[in-house]
Amino acid sequence: MLWELMQMNNLDFLPKKKILSLFMTCGFPNIIQSKKIFDEILSHRPDIIEFGLPFSDPMADGPIIQRANELALKSDITTKKSLELINKLSKNKQSTSFVIMCYLNTIRKFGLNKFIKNIKNIVDGLIIVDLPFEEETEIKNLLTENNIHLIKLISPMTDRKRAKKILKNSKGFIYYISSTGITGSNKLDHREINNNVKSLKKISSTPVLVGFGVKSKQDVVAISKQTNADGVIIGSALIQKYFDLKMDFNKYLKSLKKFIQEVKI
Amino acid sequence: MKTYKQPNKLGRFGEFGGMYVAETLMPILLELDESYKKIQKDKKFKRELNDLFKNYVGRPSPLYHAKNLTKYINGPKIYFKRDELNHTGAHKINNCLGQILLAKKMGKTRIIAETGAGQHGVAVSAVSAYFSMPCFIFMGSKDIERQKPNVFRMKLLGATIIPVESGSKSLKDAMNEALREWIKRCRDSAYVIGSTAGPHPYPKMVRDFQSVIGKEAREQILKVEKRLPDIVCACIGGGSNSMGLFYPFLNDKKVKLIGVEAAGEGANTKKTAATMTSANSSPGVLHGSYSYVLQNKDGQINEAHSISAGLDYPGVGPEHSYLKETKRVKYFSITDKEALNAFQLCSKLEGIIPALEPSHALAYLIKSFKNKDKNKILILNMCGRGDKDLFTAANALGVDANE
Repeated sequence: MLWELMQMNNLDFLPKKKILSLFMTCGFPNIIQSKKIFDEILSHRPDIIEFGLPFSDPMADGPIIQRANELALKSDITTKKSLELINKLSKNKQSTSFVIMCYLNTIRKFGLNKFIKNIKNIVDGLIIVDLPFEEETEIKNLLTENNIHLIKLISPMTDRKRAKKILKNSKGFIYYISSTGITGSNKLDHREINNNVKSLKKISSTPVLVGFGVKSKQDVVAISKQTNADGVIIGSALIQKYFDLKMDFNKYLKSLKKFIQEVKI
Repeated sequence: MKTYKQPNKLGRFGEFGGMYVAETLMPILLELDESYKKIQKDKKFKRELNDLFKNYVGRPSPLYHAKNLTKYINGPKIYFKRDELNHTGAHKINNCLGQILLAKKMGKTRIIAETGAGQHGVAVSAVSAYFSMPCFIFMGSKDIERQKPNVFRMKLLGATIIPVESGSKSLKDAMNEALREWIKRCRDSAYVIGSTAGPHPYPKMVRDFQSVIGKEAREQILKVEKRLPDIVCACIGGGSNSMGLFYPFLNDKKVKLIGVEAAGEGANTKKTAATMTSANSSPGVLHGSYSYVLQNKDGQINEAHSISAGLDYPGVGPEHSYLKETKRVKYFSITDKEALNAFQLCSKLEGIIPALEPSHALAYLIKSFKNKDKNKILILNMCGRGDKDLFTAANALGVDANE
């Protein structure tokens, strides 16, 4: 029977407050070390892990994630290998939600149906950065049939009317882009975030996570205390440390551990 | 006969095109689309633009009978549509005037653009100077190196050049960076794309502004020859000069349209920019639209290569993909070497130094029409002049141009 095949989706059971989502590029800095990084991240049991699929032209990401993508691609990561890595990690996923963040071309080229078949019952949500509401119908239907949530992005430029359209039947969480910037840029404006998050909360009951520009424990605490957001997404800041430490992998793993402990508030 | 009506409201040319961008850009693109729709009906806008075309650019550009080349090829009667005579030396300025005039009307105060060869960058810089708007040009560091004269021109015109060091350090990376900058500064900045690529409404808007080329050419040939041409031919990188020339001829079913891509070292080698005619190309999503792209099996975009920086782009405008699929336009490719030969030949025969971009279209004529189709009439888009390519050409020919 259908309900037996359908596993539950972890994103439907997110905690009420202080949700932590950690983003990391698959295959960064190379395939072997990437597994170690994800093992470390998973051992902290964040609510959500976002797996970035490397793309040669990540136009919505900043220079840090672009560099991570370049390194990963140099180590011959492919979509297939990324999915194998995610599959391996999922054996120990427990209540952590797995979300894939990618650009449309990678999964289109892989084959949409094949991709969904590969991630079914492993991945809970999908963020396709360059797939706006206007272009999503086909993919959204396919995902819904397979109990994978299509995560919606909302920017400060999205007006109320548009947000209503986008968030109709939204599931999982809402990815609120904190600045009109790219990942890892600009400073956070808590008042603007709070106003926008408040208005999103009136439209939808789906949890709102703030991403882009969340860099430190202070940012996480500030968003938790000064805004109505349900949690944060940290990405570039996790990767930045690798370059700060001059690509010394062992030092990086240690600093990653310390950083994640700090941001788990 | 069915009239050509592309794209649809969502920016689709058949299945190609669309708006594949992050949500941060969507509201701005929709705003741009709305403003563009409004301005199309605005007679004052049209008057202002036409006046600038006439007095600032020097339009209409002549339709010139290239007698010596015609004699040399011993084939069709060849006309050049001389957009290389435009102010700033190429067709690029047509589109820049349109987009920046629109930006001004939309209340934008700052201009962002990408450039490959520098022709678009120079045109954007000139028009920004004309409208007294600060202007920021993203350019791959590899292109900065090989297009020094244009870099200096842009600086003279008051533009700030931002070198792009990521990826292949050429046009596609400059476009990534420009898009990023636009996401950050969308409230006050207009992004002027130089080709018929990118998300909707750019492919349509750029085509419309460039179609002044084809409109003039069509009127001019009817006046001189009392009939339509048999063949219309242009080079293709992203595809703006060719779309501008082809568009007004699309409903003339008897006019054969030919697009010439840059094969680089060979269309099926790794060093190519032949987006639609290479074995390594297939439809994909790059820079916001669904179109043919040079990509590997895993959907990673390949670096393009061409001796001509203006054609060195791994994507192509979605309308070209549509015209390829519907077979309305036939596409071919020409290697660096063939283009370089045509570059020299045209200079000697006609006293016109063509840019390396239209040299590809010229090379195709020389290759394919020798002793053929003598009673036919052909228009070629001479879309840019070769001054900017002197160093590149000298280098490729083993000449020291600095002496």
